[in-house]
Amino acid sequence: MDIAFAAETLVSLLSALPLTLELAITAIAFGAVLALALALARLSGILALDWFARLYVFVFRGTPLLVQIFLIYYGLSQFGAVRHSIFWPVLREPYWCAVLALMLNTAAYASEIIRGGLLSVPHGQVEAARACGMPRFMIFRRIVMPLAIRQALPGYGNEMISMVKATSLASIITLMEITGVAAKIISETYRVIEVFVVAGAIYLAINFLLTRLIAFVEYQLSPHQRQLLPMTGRLKGESH
Amino acid sequence: MSNPGFLDIISFGPDGWGHALAAGAWMTILIALAGFAIGSVIGTLGAWAKISGGRFLRMFADAYTTILRGIPDLLVIYLFYFGGSAVVTAVGQFFGAEGFVSFPGFLAGTLAVGVTSGAQQTEVFRGAFRAVHPGELEAATACGMGRVLKFRRITAPLTLRHALPGLGNVWQVVLKESALVSVTGVVELLRQAQIGAGSTSLPFDFYFIAAMIYLAISTVSGACLNASERWFSRGVRRG
Amino acid sequence: MNMSAQAAPSVAISVRDLHKSFGPVEVLKGISIDAHEGEVISILGSSGSGKSTLLRCINMLEVPDSGSIAVAGETIRLKAAGCGKSRPADQRQVDRIRSELGMVFQSFNLWSHKTVLENVIEAPVHVLKRPRREAIEEAEALLAKVGIADKRNHYPAHLSGGQQQRAAIARALAMRPKAMLFDEPTSALDPELVGEVLRVMRGLAEEGRTMLVVTHEMGFARDVSSRVVFLHRGAIEEEGAPDDVFTSSKSERFRQFISN
Repeated sequence: MDIAFAAETLVSLLSALPLTLELAITAIAFGAVLALALALARLSGILALDWFARLYVFVFRGTPLLVQIFLIYYGLSQFGAVRHSIFWPVLREPYWCAVLALMLNTAAYASEIIRGGLLSVPHGQVEAARACGMPRFMIFRRIVMPLAIRQALPGYGNEMISMVKATSLASIITLMEITGVAAKIISETYRVIEVFVVAGAIYLAINFLLTRLIAFVEYQLSPHQRQLLPMTGRLKGESH
Repeated sequence: MSNPGFLDIISFGPDGWGHALAAGAWMTILIALAGFAIGSVIGTLGAWAKISGGRFLRMFADAYTTILRGIPDLLVIYLFYFGGSAVVTAVGQFFGAEGFVSFPGFLAGTLAVGVTSGAQQTEVFRGAFRAVHPGELEAATACGMGRVLKFRRITAPLTLRHALPGLGNVWQVVLKESALVSVTGVVELLRQAQIGAGSTSLPFDFYFIAAMIYLAISTVSGACLNASERWFSRGVRRG
Repeated sequence: MNMSAQAAPSVAISVRDLHKSFGPVEVLKGISIDAHEGEVISILGSSGSGKSTLLRCINMLEVPDSGSIAVAGETIRLKAAGCGKSRPADQRQVDRIRSELGMVFQSFNLWSHKTVLENVIEAPVHVLKRPRREAIEEAEALLAKVGIADKRNHYPAHLSGGQQQRAAIARALAMRPKAMLFDEPTSALDPELVGEVLRVMRGLAEEGRTMLVVTHEMGFARDVSSRVVFLHRGAIEEEGAPDDVFTSSKSERFRQFISN
């Protein structure tokens, strides 16, 4: 392995890191909102919403992400109505098409994770909140959500890692994120091993940090599941 | 340019793309099956290394699953495709051939899919083995079964039974991952749809049809897996 | 207790002709009960008699099909929802009335992600909008009263059942309720933990609080309550002062029930 070449590659690939992170963060953030909406639709008890969410999850989980990306990036341009709509400046951009596809895709998986979290909240604790006279939204915000998030976090962490990996598909529609740059260097130099090792190390580092971050948040959110620790003066530092 | 209608695309007539798409779908299934099979072999070895391997083997297996879980599948496909080509080219030059020799995309793709799904199957098999009641294995030893007999008659069937739901998930992942093999030029379903989209300027129709075929394959195979799960879990009480 | 007969205090909870069905099963068949201020009513009955449903109808955790409920003279407004069912006409009224009733559950239902103290101040601060500092002070006094002041910063999972139930009682008291509803508060407890919870409840009764207690504890019903209501298959089978009904009930079923 050529260390000088690897170092050179590292510099090139790191310059593509912001785009990878940007794609992942945007898609995860928008996807989380959509996922919550889908999960609530599934649990709403309204038949039309429930079935829409079911169909959505079925279609997006049953087809490859790359097909979804192609459908949005190449497919939509087939229609004049799309090309002449106000969305065209956005849908013409490979960046936004990638974000849109990643977001729609992660929402399908994440909605099932969130739904599981919401279903795991013990009914008695919701009932106790109702018995105190809490309005519905306050119960959701203060009792259901915190418990559901804690429950869903490990699964959601895995989904976030999947998303970081999935951003590599954006390279196929010309975006020069890490994998895109890596493929370009490989096809120019035919030095596969060095590029693969460096690119792989960057992805591993991102996902390692992400795993640690999720574990930290999980730890912060679950004092009630930890072993009993001597606690003194906790109230002063409390935040609400 | 004459644009065929949606029905022309899916027809099997002289102008239709039906045959081409069917062949692509068949290639997708082949890639997925081959990749899954390679992954099963790797997964079995990986689980064995993690469960009863020595320190070195365990570390190796741990590194393998950690790395493969953390890097994109596409990168692995590039590794095998370009890496394989580099090796083949070098061998070719050794024997006096000139220029770049391309590695077969099908082989690179199935190997890549196999290696990534192997990491997932390692974890599936390991978890399944953990779920087997130790008493059942002990009973086999107590009957005087030898190591091989015990593995073949007791350990493997019990582990497989616990592994089936997880293997079903891995299969679905592999099926979708096979679409990435299109970057190597193998004419599987997605690549065929790309070809169709390029030559008709009806990209939406072709990708939509491809998506529906993927959905059909995953639904039908999912139903089959569920049925086999029920068959293999007879005698297991449902929770 | 005998003071209540002379002064005729006002009615805290009034239940009129309550009907409730779950599917084809009629659980409550026209129940009427008045709980006067300071009264402790023990509601007895075998399982399936409808006693928990009755209690849960009072704060609308179950919505009755028909009949009326009034808390401190204010009737909860219901409207028809078809198929012989009703639903609250004004959810905000229901929420307000719920905040005036303290409920204690069989399975405690403490919020597992909050400490004992946070459980107690949650509703006072967020529902009643009391100042946080004031709520904490009051909560600490209540926790001392139920005997778990030292557990205030513990999470429910780290407490025994008896401690959890006492925390739940403190949580209910923190709402400064006009009446308290106890739904089999000791049924989920190990026998050796029942006593500590009953002691707290006895203390509350002696303070003159209005309490409706669904219970299996005959000792509590006999010694602490001012009135006993015995439900059988969704109807009131026997009702009266404990001294009367426990010694000379006309109901064969009730005599059989207490002899078990």
